[in-house]
Amino acid sequence: MKRLGLYVVGSLCAGLLLSGCGDQSADGKVDLELFSNKPESIGTYESLIERFEEEHPDINVELYAPPSADTVLRTRLVKEDLPDLLSIAGSALYGELADAELLKDYSDTELLDRIQPAYVEMIDQLVPGENEGTYGLPYATNANAVIYNKEVMNELGLEVPETWDEFIAALETAQEEGVTPVYFTLKDAWTGMIPWNAVAGNLEPDRFAEKKTNGEASFQDDYSEVTEKMLTLLDYGLKDNFQYNYNDGNNAFANGEALFYFQGNWAIPELKKVNPDIELGTFAMPVTNNREENELISGVDVMITSLKETDHPDEVRQFVEFMMEDEQAKQYIEEQYAFSAIEGVEQGDEVLSGVQQKIANNEITSFPDHYYPSGMQAPNLIQEFLIEKDQDAFLNKMDREWEKVIRR
Amino acid sequence: MKSRQRAFLLMAMPAVIIFFVFHTYPVLQGVFYSFTNWRGYGEWDFVGFKNYLNVFQDGRALNAYWFTFKFAIVSTILVNIFSLAIAMGLNAKIKFRKTLRALYFLPNILSILIVGFIFNFIFTHFLPDLMEWAGFESLAKNILGDPDLAWLGVVIMTVWQATAFNTILYLAGLQTIPEDVYEAADIDGANAWKKFLKITFPLIAPFFTINMVLAMKNFLMAFDQIVALTNGGPGQATESISLLIYKGGFEGGEFAYQSANAVIYFIIIVIISVFQIRVLQKREVEM
Repeated sequence: MKRLGLYVVGSLCAGLLLSGCGDQSADGKVDLELFSNKPESIGTYESLIERFEEEHPDINVELYAPPSADTVLRTRLVKEDLPDLLSIAGSALYGELADAELLKDYSDTELLDRIQPAYVEMIDQLVPGENEGTYGLPYATNANAVIYNKEVMNELGLEVPETWDEFIAALETAQEEGVTPVYFTLKDAWTGMIPWNAVAGNLEPDRFAEKKTNGEASFQDDYSEVTEKMLTLLDYGLKDNFQYNYNDGNNAFANGEALFYFQGNWAIPELKKVNPDIELGTFAMPVTNNREENELISGVDVMITSLKETDHPDEVRQFVEFMMEDEQAKQYIEEQYAFSAIEGVEQGDEVLSGVQQKIANNEITSFPDHYYPSGMQAPNLIQEFLIEKDQDAFLNKMDREWEKVIRR
Repeated sequence: MKSRQRAFLLMAMPAVIIFFVFHTYPVLQGVFYSFTNWRGYGEWDFVGFKNYLNVFQDGRALNAYWFTFKFAIVSTILVNIFSLAIAMGLNAKIKFRKTLRALYFLPNILSILIVGFIFNFIFTHFLPDLMEWAGFESLAKNILGDPDLAWLGVVIMTVWQATAFNTILYLAGLQTIPEDVYEAADIDGANAWKKFLKITFPLIAPFFTINMVLAMKNFLMAFDQIVALTNGGPGQATESISLLIYKGGFEGGEFAYQSANAVIYFIIIVIISVFQIRVLQKREVEM
């Protein structure tokens, strides 16, 4: 009887141990795990991996791209079960991983030389003081755009606006003609961040997050113009801006129900899926009346990095170098409607030309919310503000929530 | 006799071990980390009761507690009213009784996420369109997009989905009542309402207790229906405590802080459940 008990316990433990092994597969290949936070790019990654495996027959790369990937990655951190390679966004999570000294430092590698310095700077700002360095390679970038329906634009006789006043005038014209100027999808809190980032990115002081943490800046002092302009934009929306979500919005906009749509480049494939014949254009939201000052909000959507501690540093390096080659970078941005962080690799698609121009001219600035502490859950606070429309109370709350999260 | 006892002990042991490894141990770990500043990975230090004090000052947490209790109490009452009524109907001698029982049990089999997506469609497109068609312009909007009304949307879906399970429990209870009690009441000239109040309800009192406790506990831990319907929005209007713990802990990197919140919440649920059982069981005896 005693032996039965032992057997049960023993087999339980064996089961637990077994799941921990298996790095070297039976056929002598080295297994690497690539963790990606973008389910949209699974197809592209799989074809790139296939090519890589043909060139390196002794390496087997396994792609893992679950939904809610950031959350999954955090839970895996808790279990200390980490992948070899990461493909993640340049957001607060990257900063936390770098700060926790989990990632490899690429500061002194040649790979970094080919990447647009503006993007390197963006991810450097995410890493707090003590561990300064570049712990990843910006790969593909995204942009916050105003997407417009070319047909509706022509019918209304409008040109692409270059200043805030022109922009408002265009919205005004659409409204007078009975066309919905902007299709808001604010039931999904995150979609409110697109106009928010466009407006705030152009209007907030440089290095706002750093100053805010040091007590040199605050939402109450520096964000009143932002909230003002957000409320102005809201007047040009639907009867109820909080009725529809992102998917509803894609369907409606692709079927020509509005003039403008505040979304990122990532929405374009979705829109084309709904209506392959739609003619779209993009531009950066002109937030000020000074043409030269208006910058495009662009961020590091995908960066490739690896764990500091891996059993196969050589194989990992080979894969990273392979991905950074022009051919692969070009394929990635073409299939994903993205932009490349690698100098000289340009997005040729006509829909994105208005935005690509800004990137080529280096007229870009980063997403402000990537520097807000993630525990604050800014999208929900902003959604609440857009419903309540109380500027003072909201700015005050943003300040308090920020401080509260930092203090924890 | 002794060897029989050992056999029973051995039968119970695997479950105990598995329960301890996969449940009790993580709970203890969570309690331990609630006294640290752990982010879920990396370095950490002990911070004493700081996390606990911060929870009590956190407007967002207090808001989540308020929403959760409001939601749980209203849903528990509604679910019990509806499921008792349906169970009485399904227990009576009516046509298609078996078919109807199966039909009313359906919502319980459907995945709550699927139900959520269907209701999302109803609230976003179907109801507003219907209202507009009927001429009620002011009502033609998505209640899930309104911070004052969104919680009602969650209640409606939850009640629709949860009634099925409690109906089954009440049905089981109703079938334990012997027919001759009612016959005796008929002879005494009791009307239907009297029969319900004096016979049916007291005799299924234990089922009422268990239904109240189970429903309340389930709704206090509401998570998936909210993820499917509103994901806590608009703003933070429908953020339940479980959702807050999940979002803050895993998406916001506040593992230790939300562990403290979870410990507090665990204690509250235990207190409520014990209180409910005490009060309701005392009432059972009195009746």
